[in-house]
Amino acid sequence: MTLNRRDLLKAAGAAGALNAVWPLTAGLSPAQAREAAEALGSTYDKAPFTLGVASGDPQPTGVVLWTRLAPEPFAEPGEQKLDEVVDVRWVVAEDRALRRVVARGTVPASATLAHSVHVPVGGLRPGRTYYYAFTALGRTSRLGRTRTAPAGRVRSARFATANCQSYPSGHYAALRGIAREDLDFVIHLGDYIYEYGPEGSDIRDHNGPEILTLRDYRVRHALYKGDPSLREAHAAHPWFLTWDDHEVSNDYSGTGGGAPFMRRRAAAYQAWYEHQPHRGAGESVLPDIDIHRVRRWGDLLELAVLDLRQYRSAQNLPDGTILGADQKAWLKKTVDRAPDSWHIWANSIMLSQLRGRPGGGFMFTDQWDGFLGERKEVLEHVRTSGLEDLVVLTGDWHSAFVDDIRPDFDNTESPVVGTEFTAHSVTSGAYDAQWNATNGPLMGAANPHLQYFEGNHYGYDVYEVTPERFTTHMRVIDDRRDPASPVSTLTTFHVDRGTAGAYEDPATKSSPAQYRRD
Amino acid sequence: MNLLVNGDAEKGPGGTAEPVGRVVGWTVRQGAPALVGYDVGGGYPTPADPGPGGAAAGARFFSGGNSPLTTLVQEADLPAGGATGHRAVDAGRVRYVLSGWLGGYAGQEDGARLSVEFRDRAGTPLALSVLGPVSAAERGNVTALVERSAEAAVPPGARSAHVQLSFTRSGGGTSNDGYADGISLRLTASGRHS
Repeated sequence: MTLNRRDLLKAAGAAGALNAVWPLTAGLSPAQAREAAEALGSTYDKAPFTLGVASGDPQPTGVVLWTRLAPEPFAEPGEQKLDEVVDVRWVVAEDRALRRVVARGTVPASATLAHSVHVPVGGLRPGRTYYYAFTALGRTSRLGRTRTAPAGRVRSARFATANCQSYPSGHYAALRGIAREDLDFVIHLGDYIYEYGPEGSDIRDHNGPEILTLRDYRVRHALYKGDPSLREAHAAHPWFLTWDDHEVSNDYSGTGGGAPFMRRRAAAYQAWYEHQPHRGAGESVLPDIDIHRVRRWGDLLELAVLDLRQYRSAQNLPDGTILGADQKAWLKKTVDRAPDSWHIWANSIMLSQLRGRPGGGFMFTDQWDGFLGERKEVLEHVRTSGLEDLVVLTGDWHSAFVDDIRPDFDNTESPVVGTEFTAHSVTSGAYDAQWNATNGPLMGAANPHLQYFEGNHYGYDVYEVTPERFTTHMRVIDDRRDPASPVSTLTTFHVDRGTAGAYEDPATKSSPAQYRRD
Repeated sequence: MNLLVNGDAEKGPGGTAEPVGRVVGWTVRQGAPALVGYDVGGGYPTPADPGPGGAAAGARFFSGGNSPLTTLVQEADLPAGGATGHRAVDAGRVRYVLSGWLGGYAGQEDGARLSVEFRDRAGTPLALSVLGPVSAAERGNVTALVERSAEAAVPPGARSAHVQLSFTRSGGGTSNDGYADGISLRLTASGRHS
């Protein structure tokens, strides 16, 4: 069967909706499913490295390198034309031509882990750029670029966050922008995939029903990796990663589920590991995964990556937890031991309180608003410990917010202990312009700590950090429908070292927004 | 030969439905399991319920005790020599079989999950198999343990196996009625993986 975009769209027109086309893929072979995806804009690297390459968790002397052998992206490992275990060679060099080699080796790729490999490369030099590639079955992957963390005194750092990249909602022009930025690293704040079935998008769509099994989650990751900008962004920079709910299912709590859900969760976690440059940590044994960790970027940044899903209880319980007891103790200890630097929390879901209107209730208690006691405890700990220069970077909301963080958000006398920047999404749908125009001012009036709200754009944030100042540039794209949509800077905020609270750069203060506290 | 110690819950403290703080051969990572006798009754599996049965079952099985999440971990070094030793592993001539009886109570969805992760000398995961948890529907909505197994090649470079047994309680209540018994990890010599 040969499919092309015109035939697919014609069939969609006849059926009245594009989602009538995508179920056809259920009866397709893996090769035909790939052809269908490609006809609607997906691309893949040359086999067997179809899903690209990536690096992650940069430290002063090492990074983790990742790739997966998947000659057919939508085939199960047992269906691939691969041995059960395949040797994969890797090389790290100082130059793009991979001539000045500093490390090399061979690792086995097992079908039990979908022929993925995770190589913890050590012995590298701090603060350096390196290039890497993999070879298997006589083929060589694309070239990846990575960077180690610096050690000692650091005068500047530049990094980005991305979040919420629903595949049906648009193309990844925002990730294309990240790939082209001059960055030290990228943090993904979660909702890397979505679990839903076809959504009726006329751009592109999920190619199967809601995902439940290990096979389903593998296919979904492969579909998302079909966006060339995602692969480009992975190959361009090392990533830190956390997750939110849609890597498994909407609004889930990681604890208390029945056997069918716990099996689904394990499948989702395993597939996530198989497709990410993640370094195992602590004592966890797969398919359980330790996400939370603290990393340093010299003496300039301390980064705490939080996991707000795996250990959380149900929402709105008097003794509920979003961190889990062990992670909460770890975070408090991290605060106690904090060096004199900027303190960054990679936080998948909004920390600051958010009421929808004056006198109204919380908008979403899936975020920290559903865990009031624990939020107060953690932020009080920040206050009493005297931690300064805290910046929390958040995703999930599909809109941009800037908030003052207070231990008690209902008390304007409560001291500001940090700033939260909630970033626009890569593609996932925000509220419409009318909703934003109406509700921006209402949220501003209801939340005295809210400084800024903007919900009419998609994009990512870039941060420039010096010992004196933390700067957030809100990068936005023109159009999610355009894979090469140009990127511009909507506005810029600064936080000065030693002074709690953010302020908007005068040069962009007249940019459009639906709420701005003057 | 089973690489695991006390995969049948027969050794050490236990015998009742009361949780124990220590389990021979295993590290209690979270919660506290109970090593329940098949003669305890009161709704717990008995020799009359579907399960390993007879001598294979022994006198006791694992349960999740009273914690919402109970996790046991056992790390086994792979044998250095012999037909399934390091040289054979590195030549791709060793396979593994992970198996166990996993179950739960009546129509409830408490469950037990068994996994093995093979790691190289540096601790990097090289292979993974996950079994369960078994749903109530898979047990026919009756109290039972059902057998699950997985088999695959031990990748070259593997030096240790990390086996995890997790019991999860669904919803409220006190008792974590995920059950497990007859946990084993066996290596076999085979041809080259290719």
